[in-house]
Amino acid sequence: MILLDTRGLEHPVPLEMAFSAFAKLQSREILHMIHTREPRPLFELVAKNGGRHYSYQDDEGVWHILMTRDTSIDLESCRV
Amino acid sequence: MFNQGLSLDQAPPISVVLRFFLSVPFFGVLFSLLLIVYPADVLIPNHPTSLSAMHLFFLGIISMSMIGSLFQMQSVLGGKPILSPLGNSLIIHLFFSVGLIALAGAFLFHLSAAFTIAAVLLGSSLIYLVRLILPLLFGGVTHDTLRGMRLALLSLLLTAVFGAVMANSFANESFEALHEAIRTAHYSLALAGWIGALVIAVAFQVVEMFYVTMAYGNWYKRNVFRTIALSLILKTLWLFLALPYIWVFDLFLAAVLLGFGVTTVVRLRNRKRRVSDISIEFWYAGMGLLFASLLSHIVYLYTASALYETTALLSFALFSLSIILGMMVKIVPFLVWFHLSSQGYLQTPIMSNIIPAKQNKRLFVLFGISSVLALLSFLTPVLLSLSGIGFFATFALLAYNLIGALRLYRHTKTTSPRMSMDFSSPS
Repeated sequence: MILLDTRGLEHPVPLEMAFSAFAKLQSREILHMIHTREPRPLFELVAKNGGRHYSYQDDEGVWHILMTRDTSIDLESCRV
Repeated sequence: MFNQGLSLDQAPPISVVLRFFLSVPFFGVLFSLLLIVYPADVLIPNHPTSLSAMHLFFLGIISMSMIGSLFQMQSVLGGKPILSPLGNSLIIHLFFSVGLIALAGAFLFHLSAAFTIAAVLLGSSLIYLVRLILPLLFGGVTHDTLRGMRLALLSLLLTAVFGAVMANSFANESFEALHEAIRTAHYSLALAGWIGALVIAVAFQVVEMFYVTMAYGNWYKRNVFRTIALSLILKTLWLFLALPYIWVFDLFLAAVLLGFGVTTVVRLRNRKRRVSDISIEFWYAGMGLLFASLLSHIVYLYTASALYETTALLSFALFSLSIILGMMVKIVPFLVWFHLSSQGYLQTPIMSNIIPAKQNKRLFVLFGISSVLALLSFLTPVLLSLSGIGFFATFALLAYNLIGALRLYRHTKTTSPRMSMDFSSPS
């Protein structure tokens, strides 16, 4: 799993970093992004480019976004 | 790009927004030429050349950018897409642009027929715009920015109606008894309702997100648009009924705008990450110009001096231009990057390379020098001519930056390979 912590970075830097990392993902790889808000534009970019995502908020209000280009991976089971 | 998220299924094609943005330098250059050629006339309030320059500025530069942004923002924030955005934006842009050229020419060359053309084309394009977007802002999600957008559009509608009435008066050279009340209502609604409310509404979204600042206070967000709306309604009534103490409503509007300026500066100064970003300088400059405008207007209320009236209007115009330029240097690269990325182009340039930082710094320096010269032009009209040369260079550079971004977008689309869609792991 590739970790990308973008908390505190100003928009749209997190979006650019996350999509760049997503574009380089190999088969079976998962990108784990940690961010202060739900990056909905990113979800659209991922979906339009054949990927999938799963996002959730932890108890401290931090967003975790899991992304993959592999259709066989169950992202929900990869929660950390 | 906003809290509610940018939906690719709802966001309009990039050409819809860029059509309006690319027209800004064109009208900016026309405006600059008036400053260069007729500086003394532009400085006289209500002089036809001054009115021509003012409308080129507030319609051709400020409103043109704001309408383009509205096409983007409505889809993002309102949650409902604009139907046929390409066709609708084309109609609005065409009517608006031709109507504005007619209006500027009508003031400048005293052409009665051009006033009628301007009233029909400008009035219809703005009413059509409001009719298109305003209903989409009701019935779905509601938040403070949407409330600000509703107020801005309603103010624009009334501004357009009053403007059409006055254009008719100019065409017939017959001014009714209420002309002065209509004129004051027209510019009050345009400045505080259309420009002021929309800038504040947008700031609620972008300042926190772009610069990682604290959010604006809930109390302020809840009450700011109510105060602006109520002040404008009462001021308009007072104007038409010729009641005394009308300046009280201007003080309320000034207080709201002052609160916005102070809050924005405090948030920007206390932002969490102090990275270099020229758009922040545009915001600081904008807030400084807003303070100068409010102070000048308050002095004008008590002195009735034309100098302070002109300075207040000039500072407010430059405040709105500063915010517009600051937002453009952020949003245009984002839109280019976003639309290319959404289509999977692997060689999509990074945002900081779409409009290089040094180009944006030059834009800010040119804007700053031109603004200072314009504000000092009460000393001698020559300074306004020099300011016009500066603004000419500013808008030429803006055109260069925007066209460069568009060329990069097209170049990437024709040369870059696209992302493969086959990623499944072998089973």
